[in-house]
Amino acid sequence: MFGAALVKIAFASSILSTVLYFVVHRNPSDTVKKIARLFYELTVAGLVTASAILLYFILTHQFQYYYVWNYSSTDLPLSLLISTFYAGQEGSFMLWSLYTGVIGLVLLRYTAKRGYEPEFMAVFSAILSFLILMLVVKNPFKPIWEQFSTELLHVGAVPVGTTNFIWVDQARGLWAQVPLEGKGLNALLQNYWMVIHPQILFIGFTSMSIPFAYAVAGMLKKDYVSWIRVATPWTAFGSMMLGTGIILGGYWAYETLGWGGYWGWDPVENSSLVPWLVCVASIHTMLAQRKNGTYIKTNFVLSMFCFILVLYSTFLTRSGVLGETSVHSFVDPGMWVYWLLLIVIGLFAALGFGLLFSRWKEMPVVPVQHTLVSREFALFLGASSLVFASIFILIGTSSPIITNIIKGKISAVDPSFYITTTLPLGVAIALLSGLGQLLWWQNSKTNDLLKQLMMPAALAATFTVGTFIMGATHVAMIVFIFASAFALCTNVIVGWKIVRGNPKMAGGSIAHVGIALMFLGFVASAKYDDVKTLNLEQGKSVQALGYTMTYVGYQPLERGRFGFNVEVEKDGQKFVVTPVMFKENDEGSLIRNPDIVNMITKDFYVSPLSLESAGASDHDQEIMLLKGKTETYEGMQLTYLGYNFTQTKEKGNYLVMDIEVLYNGMKELVHPTMSNKGGKPTFTEAQLQNSEIALVIKGMNPSKEEGEATVTLEVTGIHGQKKLSAPKAETLVVEASVKPYINLVWIGTVLLIGGFLITIVRRIQETLKK
Amino acid sequence: MNLKVIVASIIIVGALIFGASTFMESNIEYMDFEMAQTVNKKVQVKGRWVKEKESNFDATTSQFTFYMVDDNNQEVKVVLDGAKPNNFEIATEVVAKGRFKDGYFHANELLTKCPSKYEGDGEAVKKTL
Repeated sequence: MFGAALVKIAFASSILSTVLYFVVHRNPSDTVKKIARLFYELTVAGLVTASAILLYFILTHQFQYYYVWNYSSTDLPLSLLISTFYAGQEGSFMLWSLYTGVIGLVLLRYTAKRGYEPEFMAVFSAILSFLILMLVVKNPFKPIWEQFSTELLHVGAVPVGTTNFIWVDQARGLWAQVPLEGKGLNALLQNYWMVIHPQILFIGFTSMSIPFAYAVAGMLKKDYVSWIRVATPWTAFGSMMLGTGIILGGYWAYETLGWGGYWGWDPVENSSLVPWLVCVASIHTMLAQRKNGTYIKTNFVLSMFCFILVLYSTFLTRSGVLGETSVHSFVDPGMWVYWLLLIVIGLFAALGFGLLFSRWKEMPVVPVQHTLVSREFALFLGASSLVFASIFILIGTSSPIITNIIKGKISAVDPSFYITTTLPLGVAIALLSGLGQLLWWQNSKTNDLLKQLMMPAALAATFTVGTFIMGATHVAMIVFIFASAFALCTNVIVGWKIVRGNPKMAGGSIAHVGIALMFLGFVASAKYDDVKTLNLEQGKSVQALGYTMTYVGYQPLERGRFGFNVEVEKDGQKFVVTPVMFKENDEGSLIRNPDIVNMITKDFYVSPLSLESAGASDHDQEIMLLKGKTETYEGMQLTYLGYNFTQTKEKGNYLVMDIEVLYNGMKELVHPTMSNKGGKPTFTEAQLQNSEIALVIKGMNPSKEEGEATVTLEVTGIHGQKKLSAPKAETLVVEASVKPYINLVWIGTVLLIGGFLITIVRRIQETLKK
Repeated sequence: MNLKVIVASIIIVGALIFGASTFMESNIEYMDFEMAQTVNKKVQVKGRWVKEKESNFDATTSQFTFYMVDDNNQEVKVVLDGAKPNNFEIATEVVAKGRFKDGYFHANELLTKCPSKYEGDGEAVKKTL
């Protein structure tokens, strides 16, 4: 209850801070500013303490709290136990608020130095109060007996020997049982990616609110130009963090979830990609504005959309609107969250765009000075391509909502939608990211441009021809390969010159080299991968995809997991991969984790599908026949004609089946029997002539009704030999695939992040100069 | 200036038409099995797994076969390309995406909707007391 109270205090104080900062904006006053700052710091202190309390409850297994009970358990290792902090909605809003609050402390000092504190902090603190409001509604400190009052709440004396209870109201004799164990963390989430990925993603979400706050602050201050300078490092920071979070999620999916790829165009992935694309677009238009003052309104719009889209993505993934259209299962959080999120989106959008329209006329109009052959225009086109890509992805992801409105029925788009729509934009982005580096500001001489184009274009063309010879097909892919190769060559050439001159300026080129490599990696690993399903009998070598694979057996791993060892050999090199399968719990959901051989030019990816134990289970060999209807089974055509029932002293109840069998072109009538004497049933098998096959009755429904009478037969080898065919060894079924040049994706990512880092450092230094 | 506006408008309108037409094309409609049988395109059908009926994974074709009833209680054999999905056993609802073929529903993708596992249900809490 103390935790919940802290959250409420933090909420109140963040609202106060917002109001006071706004007052300072209207009537500058150092005293009020100090108080506003104090309230902001109080908010953060409240959040930090509340988070520490929640973490403490988790670490000490205080299952009297619903959240702790719902997501953690005593058997989790420490790192995963900590990660249960944000495994559910309540906790992830807690983490989000915490990071927003703490980053706000940094921003407070940053903006104070640059004369932006009151306006920026007023908006930022408003955003923080919305996040805390979510925590007030979805309280992570809810006692478990509020959730399960019928099961856990009792009145009267506590039975002797009961130790796990808490007095809720001792005066009224009200007490509650406390669970001894928690429900635990979803098995799919139980790996180290759970420790790192959500944290970075939430820092990314947090930082998307920064451009919004700057844009609104700029409009409040009627500063339509220099806010860009202050905001740019943070926009780059946001792109870096959110981008890292997204790609880590992709790597998680690839490396442990066994989806076979790093990107599935799932709503959860898409909804963080959309704000990222817009944020990256805004970096480019901000650059153009810094240079010659254009795109003022565009920058306000894009910066505000970064945050609006994060809110919308939260709405999509948290409110339950996507229903069953995604592989992520969403919990319906109740109408409160649904409406609260909608209202908040409306409020922030109204605030931002209302202000924009009221200031529209005031904003300076800078006459366009650049020609169509200029860097500004390339930046504009590049940003437009990014924005269009984000719009398409947004529409696709929202399709359950759109179709619900238009047709009244919910449906999602096929993943091919995203590829069809974004591929042309990807080509444009790649070409422009190369071209933009060659163009001058304002105007380029066509001759100069052509001269500079020669080299990278020729290299890219050679490279493309090379991939074509190596087997690249599909015109669209070849165009995309050429565009990406062009982007790569240009940026390497230009980047190299910059690095030798002033490395601080090389952020853009390095990031573009990264993007180009990623594009090439996407094509190679996703379009030209090679997939095969294989049955690996234990001890028997199987050749596929140029590899020799041998399943050698399994061993138990920690926490009820099993590792299946497969020896992989290629050109004398030997590896052992150990994909993992395990049952999540008694209900028996099977979790599969792939294993990967990482090589320089490719990944060999082994994803387990199932383990067929030696000798198939009995169940597989049973067939149910409806009277008069012919069924096919293992090459036999079986028809249940009827049965004959007799009752005699010697044999007891005696039942003879008439089954017509067509097998190997021969038709015959066979009679498996069932007798019951003294309550003990015996079954006699009926053998098929000239075969090793026998039929045994397993069960029947002797109904007289047409269409109800059935018999269930077991088809076995004669004399109870279980198998029809020769007994098989234990068989591991895997999906093996070769993902060529997937390392390009990861190398590209690292370069992209590095590029952002260099840009951030450079832009921060610039804000201090004047 | 005018030329620019015209060019920009053409590009924007073109992009929107392109997006909208791709959207309509790749939208996978929800329908029941009866409707799905009459259309020759990829659709999705919501229903439940018939646990009583046989289900198996055929390692040679890498297909998982099971029976499913839709919301109108029509029972249909479903053949899924791939292995049994995670959480299949505990799913309260499954969504099969695919099309009808020779009397069975050929699914390329199967989504499982789990019982609100992480929402409180009274049975779960009793187990942990």
